[in-house]
Amino acid sequence: MIELLFFLILALFTLGTVVPLAGAKGDRRSIRVFSLACTGAASALLAAFALLVIIPGTTFALPLWQPFPGISLDLYVDRLGAFFLLLIGTVAACTAVYSSGYTEHMEGGNRRNILCGGTALFVLAMTLVVASHNTFSFLFFWELMAAVSFILVMYEYRDPGTTKAGIYYFVMTQLSTLFVMLGVIALFVLTGSFAMAPLAITPASAPLATAAFLALFFGFAIKAGIIPFHKWLFFAHPASPSPVSALMSGVMLKVAVYGLLRFILDVFSPDLWWGVLILVFGIASAVLGVIYAFKDHDIKGLLAYSSIENVGIIFTGIGLFVIFSCEGLTLLATISLLAALFHSLNHALFKSLLFLTAGSVVHATGTRDIEKMGGLAKNMPYTSVLFFTGAIAIAALPPLNGFASELLLYIAFFHSVTVVDPLLKVLLFICLALFALTSALSAACFVKAFSSVFLAQPRSDAATGAHEVSRSMLAGPAVLAAACVLLGVFACQIFIAAGYVIPFPDLLLVSILLLFMAGLTYLVLYFTASREARISETWGCGTKSQSAITEYTGHGFSEPIVTIFASVYRTKKSSTKTYSDKYNCLFGGGTAEIRLVAFFEEYIYRPIGTAAMKGATIVARMQNGCLDTYLLYVFIAVIGVIVFLGVMA
Amino acid sequence: MTDPAFFDGVIKILFVCVLITAAYIITTKNLISLVRVYSLQSLVLVAIATALFWREGAAVLAGIAVVTLVTKVIVIPYFIAAVQEKIRIKRDIEFHYLSPTSSLFISIALMLVIYIALSNVLAGTPAKGSLFFFGAVIGLSLVLMGMMVTFSRKKAITKVLGYLSMENGVLLFGLFATELPFIIEFLIVIDLIILVILTTILTIGIDSTLEEYHNRLHRFYLWEEQEEAP
Repeated sequence: MIELLFFLILALFTLGTVVPLAGAKGDRRSIRVFSLACTGAASALLAAFALLVIIPGTTFALPLWQPFPGISLDLYVDRLGAFFLLLIGTVAACTAVYSSGYTEHMEGGNRRNILCGGTALFVLAMTLVVASHNTFSFLFFWELMAAVSFILVMYEYRDPGTTKAGIYYFVMTQLSTLFVMLGVIALFVLTGSFAMAPLAITPASAPLATAAFLALFFGFAIKAGIIPFHKWLFFAHPASPSPVSALMSGVMLKVAVYGLLRFILDVFSPDLWWGVLILVFGIASAVLGVIYAFKDHDIKGLLAYSSIENVGIIFTGIGLFVIFSCEGLTLLATISLLAALFHSLNHALFKSLLFLTAGSVVHATGTRDIEKMGGLAKNMPYTSVLFFTGAIAIAALPPLNGFASELLLYIAFFHSVTVVDPLLKVLLFICLALFALTSALSAACFVKAFSSVFLAQPRSDAATGAHEVSRSMLAGPAVLAAACVLLGVFACQIFIAAGYVIPFPDLLLVSILLLFMAGLTYLVLYFTASREARISETWGCGTKSQSAITEYTGHGFSEPIVTIFASVYRTKKSSTKTYSDKYNCLFGGGTAEIRLVAFFEEYIYRPIGTAAMKGATIVARMQNGCLDTYLLYVFIAVIGVIVFLGVMA
Repeated sequence: MTDPAFFDGVIKILFVCVLITAAYIITTKNLISLVRVYSLQSLVLVAIATALFWREGAAVLAGIAVVTLVTKVIVIPYFIAAVQEKIRIKRDIEFHYLSPTSSLFISIALMLVIYIALSNVLAGTPAKGSLFFFGAVIGLSLVLMGMMVTFSRKKAITKVLGYLSMENGVLLFGLFATELPFIIEFLIVIDLIILVILTTILTIGIDSTLEEYHNRLHRFYLWEEQEEAP
């Protein structure tokens, strides 16, 4: 029965891939709708399938194909896999509903068919990565996922910005695959098989096992966008179509998280320092991600940096899990792992919600610059409510789901006083402080994002003429928003139902209290306040009339924090002034500039690039087209062979 | 007369002659004497093959001696001399990477390296220390010295001579270290003749005057002297 369901899911995804690609010559809407319907139905069924595995706690195995002895593509789903399948299914289903409206408004003619087919294949590839039973099929589907996502990123391939983003993404994603492959090969050398089985570590094999872990960690960290491997997110997400950004940020990053968790839980028996490594990378990504998100004024770039922050939070949870496991604190380890998993799900939901609604906004205004938006709450009321829900969730305000998962992590951090090692205790408290900073900055960041996009008056003609999007583009995000609310309010009940007894407050009670307080406030104000309507302008420092130009902009809002973190941003301010009188009293004109130095680009990416270019130049110089030089190489090679033979004999 | 020790002595003297000619080929700047020395080197090889034939009595050795005599001592030098007369270049004074003196030092070092390497390779066999071992070492050294000529000289004609000298090294190595079948030796010789004929055609042309061919070669940057001109 359950096998049949899974085969149905695979068949629907395949149908959703093949049909639009086969009909790619004609630009027919029906084909795209059919493909997206297949993807949506398959994703919804996938979520149902995942629940069927999670709730009874069963496992599901399906040998698929064995081309050679020892090498096989096998599927296996346990509770951990099913949890991530649930995440993929939910987000992909909502994205498919949204895409059915979004693709019809896009440029590109029959390339949209490829987009729909590629989306189906992308979701299928991610499903199969999570469902892989051995490292070989994991690597196989991982590479499929990387290749398809590259094609999706390159949708607007004529745009030079997209080409740059595509190349950046391609290099980074192949680097990730390379590291994962090295890890898989190291594991194969250690065990002699591709099975994901617990590794028996002897003192002799310990260095190789550590190397395998490090390779896998870096592979997954690149894919998850952990700082300093994060740069591709910032390029790839803004360049790709919004549903693709939603899938990549919401789901694909989680597949990397899944990979790390799967190998840590099932294969390795981690050391303490592995946990510290993951924790440090995680917390650094969280803090730096949100600081960079705060200063960004491209709405999708801002969301991309915020993804880095949230993945950092998830990695922090995983790091805590490893540390507490090594210290023997089982309950705290469970709470941390639960926090990481729950935040993965929550981030998938609210980040895809935000990317989809941001896509609606970009579609309505034709720009990604939040300084050119403003006042959209009036023209796009439903979209603004949906975005607002996502913003509350990501800013971790109670009682939404972002709050629930971050609260779990705080609980784990607060209980770390029970750790014995004093150095570790200091590290954990420093991380706690940084984590608190992250939460606060994240709230500030989304205050800025929401208010400059939706509130006040429109700051450009495009924003003035914006209109509400079609129903399907509201329906998909609406489901995600509802899920965000429900997962937050019923978090405690969900944990109990899943069988985890942990010290966690009942958010249902909190939300009832909040609702009650809100209602009470409204009633009190309703009966006590004056009903007289008073129409006047805000006091504007003596200016005669107020237009959108006097509004508090996103740049203005972020300026104080940019100044505080100037050492992180490496801001360079410069200004020139000219005066109209000889006493320098009347300001005539001038220029002002704030430059942000891209730290990681300047100090990590560019030196690597320069070194590679230098190496390439040296190699190119060897190839100089002169016959004598090639003869010299042959001569040296012959002498090398003679010497080698002489030494070896 | 057929005392092996006598022949060993003769062959050793001939080895020294081979080395002297090779050293001359590496260092000389005079193209005419280069060809003469090459034919002298080939003649020494003929003498070695004859001496071996006297000692061993194998007919193959006599065949090799005859073929080498006809081709490398008479035919090939004749062609090259013809080319040289036409192109009127008498000296090759341009060197790449290595000057003549350093080439000489490097060839000495090479011989030592090859000697050590080969004695390691042949450590377990009775061949070590024998005449055949020396023949192999000198043959291999001659190959590498010829190769040095091919990459350290700029003139095409000198490169050809370097290549021919390499082939002499292969022949020497084949005479002593391995039983090179006669047919292969014969085929290599035919290759050489064709190489030289091709060089001749390229250098002076079969259907044109020298001036015309100069221009043609200049167009393809094959004429070294004019390549230097801007």
